[in-house]
Amino acid sequence: MNTLLEGGEQLERELTPEPVVGPAVGSFVLHGALAGSLVFYALVAGLFHHNSWGDSGAGGSIQVSLVSTAIPLPSDQPPNQNVLATDTPSQAPVQPAPKAKQAVEDTAIPILGKHKKPQPIATAKSQQQPVQNNRAQYGEQAGSQMTRATQTGPLGPTSVSDGDFGSRFGWYVTQINAKMAISWYKGEVDPRTPRGARVYLTFTIRRDGSPTDVQIDRSSGSSTLDRSCQRGVQRVDSFGNLPPAYTQSTLKVSYYCEY
Amino acid sequence: MKAYSRILSLFALVLAGFGWSQLQAQDWVHTGTNLGNDRIRIAAADFKPVGDDPQTPTLKAAFDATLYTDLANAGIFDLVSKSMAPPVMPGAPQEINLAQWSADPAKASMVAFGALSANSGRLVVYGWLFDTHNTVSPQVLGKQYNEEASQDMARAVAHRFADEIIYRLGGGINGIAETKIYFVSSRTGSKEIWAMDYDGQNQHAITHLGAISLSPRISPDNSRLAFASMGRDGWAIRMYSLELGRTVSFPAGTAGGSNQSPAWSADGTKIAFSSSRSGSPSIWVADASGANLHRITSFKGPDVSPTWNPRTNAQIAWVSGRTGLPQIYTMDLDGANIQRMTDGGYAISPSWSPNGQALTFSWNRKYGPGDPGGQDIYYFDIASKRWLQLTHESGSNDFPSWAPDGRHIVFERTIGGRTQIWSMLADGTQQQELTHTGNNFMPNWSWK
Repeated sequence: MNTLLEGGEQLERELTPEPVVGPAVGSFVLHGALAGSLVFYALVAGLFHHNSWGDSGAGGSIQVSLVSTAIPLPSDQPPNQNVLATDTPSQAPVQPAPKAKQAVEDTAIPILGKHKKPQPIATAKSQQQPVQNNRAQYGEQAGSQMTRATQTGPLGPTSVSDGDFGSRFGWYVTQINAKMAISWYKGEVDPRTPRGARVYLTFTIRRDGSPTDVQIDRSSGSSTLDRSCQRGVQRVDSFGNLPPAYTQSTLKVSYYCEY
Repeated sequence: MKAYSRILSLFALVLAGFGWSQLQAQDWVHTGTNLGNDRIRIAAADFKPVGDDPQTPTLKAAFDATLYTDLANAGIFDLVSKSMAPPVMPGAPQEINLAQWSADPAKASMVAFGALSANSGRLVVYGWLFDTHNTVSPQVLGKQYNEEASQDMARAVAHRFADEIIYRLGGGINGIAETKIYFVSSRTGSKEIWAMDYDGQNQHAITHLGAISLSPRISPDNSRLAFASMGRDGWAIRMYSLELGRTVSFPAGTAGGSNQSPAWSADGTKIAFSSSRSGSPSIWVADASGANLHRITSFKGPDVSPTWNPRTNAQIAWVSGRTGLPQIYTMDLDGANIQRMTDGGYAISPSWSPNGQALTFSWNRKYGPGDPGGQDIYYFDIASKRWLQLTHESGSNDFPSWAPDGRHIVFERTIGGRTQIWSMLADGTQQQELTHTGNNFMPNWSWK
């Protein structure tokens, strides 16, 4: 194309300043957007800290039920010390020196009583692969199939949490459910509330088991349902002391009431 | 335009790249209603006898039986029956095979086990509670007891271990296995105050006054027993010290008229009772020493059977006959803020639940000629005024009393002229007769 332009035009083009404003604005907008998204993320993420499992059915919890124990889980053996674990592959072993062939003198006088075996005529076997014993070890070995203790979550789909509290102290989660089942009065809810409406609460359980900091996390849209669930938690004096083996001072709970 | 759309798509990409994944610094539990609220299935393994002391087998039998019934009575467990439990006696954490207990037919999610030995007059018990689904850190509880070797102590140790399990798995509410029930019995001729363990074991007389004693009420610290007794000058409130083993003075309860139905405040500093010293029976309150007596109701018609709100100590529920048939009312301690609870019928003997939210009382909802209703025990939620009938078509039921765990109620039931003490869960299930000799009345469950 350029070659088609006449000389004067080309010169004019070279002399005119390059368009700086447009790309610069674009660059500013892009970087501004990047910075903005970072700030936005930090703000929003701070607000909705509960949403760690996405919006799944059971209050962000999941149930894992193993189909069979034959699933090859990754080995937890310490890494073996072979070449794949190191950056420097091992030297290939040196080719073994060929065996010194015993020289047979044709002229030697045969010893009496000792029959010499007729030497088989060596024929080249083309099909047979020569055994390579001088290869470097690349860690090609059968994956170790250790028998692993698999455990299903204790008592239903309630127990998986971000930390391992639910799996270690499933009985405590059961206790929370049992207590809430007693203290939440469904009769307080306006009967016009649609079935299946859910309100999500968050609260903190202190060491002595008392709930504190009860907050509505996601409203159900029905103020009576929201309030009844909140009252349900407030009615509980104690969920029972936190397990002694649990080292932290408080436990965060996300709980939903479904009408 | 194209440049802007490119920027927008970049922006979207950045957002998507961050995603909504989170890093949590603290342990979270996500749960909700309808996510499993079954009773915990628990197995009580037979404890392993250690050593060859001749006392061991009998102590072990008492211990095993008591632990089993305590867990069965707790009301929060689905207990694995002995026939379904594996026929093993693991005596230590190394000896238990958890898979054996979590598998069919036991299917226990918790198992209590341990070892027991009697050695030169001492009973040593090691007990553990394991979560069968948790192979990594299965231990929920580990306890050790060292007591004098006797049948009673074997049962007491089993009660204690059961209470530890119930406390740990029952939402931090103390078990009732070590509580007592005080009641009136006429089995020796006169009506005296008796006591027994919560399961009906170990029944023994407390008073030997030779007079008629009624409505025993144990103090919150288990040290004194207030009751109404027929004396020289009519019905008086008397006080019996369990520590001294004799009656002690309670001057407020004797001054004229008929004094009945005492009730302790939950802090043990005050006693409310009904007295007719100034006309018709009214509710009076005095300090536990008998001083500082004052009257808090003054209406036409009788006011009897006070019971304190044990949660607040600031309210009293009682029975008033101001509208004719007796009804249940509540009021503040100064006599203000009176509210009627029952809407009709014949309602008597209220007992206030430990968490302050409910009453239980005896109610005949269809009282009157040509309307033969039964006298039954009811559960009554105070805030909503909704009620639940707990006993149905089995005798005449009266004098319910809450257990301190708020899960059990003890009451008296008369069938065919025989009156006995029964207990049940607060939803009316697991009713069982605790006394079988003579006639027994007016049970009162101890506070701890």
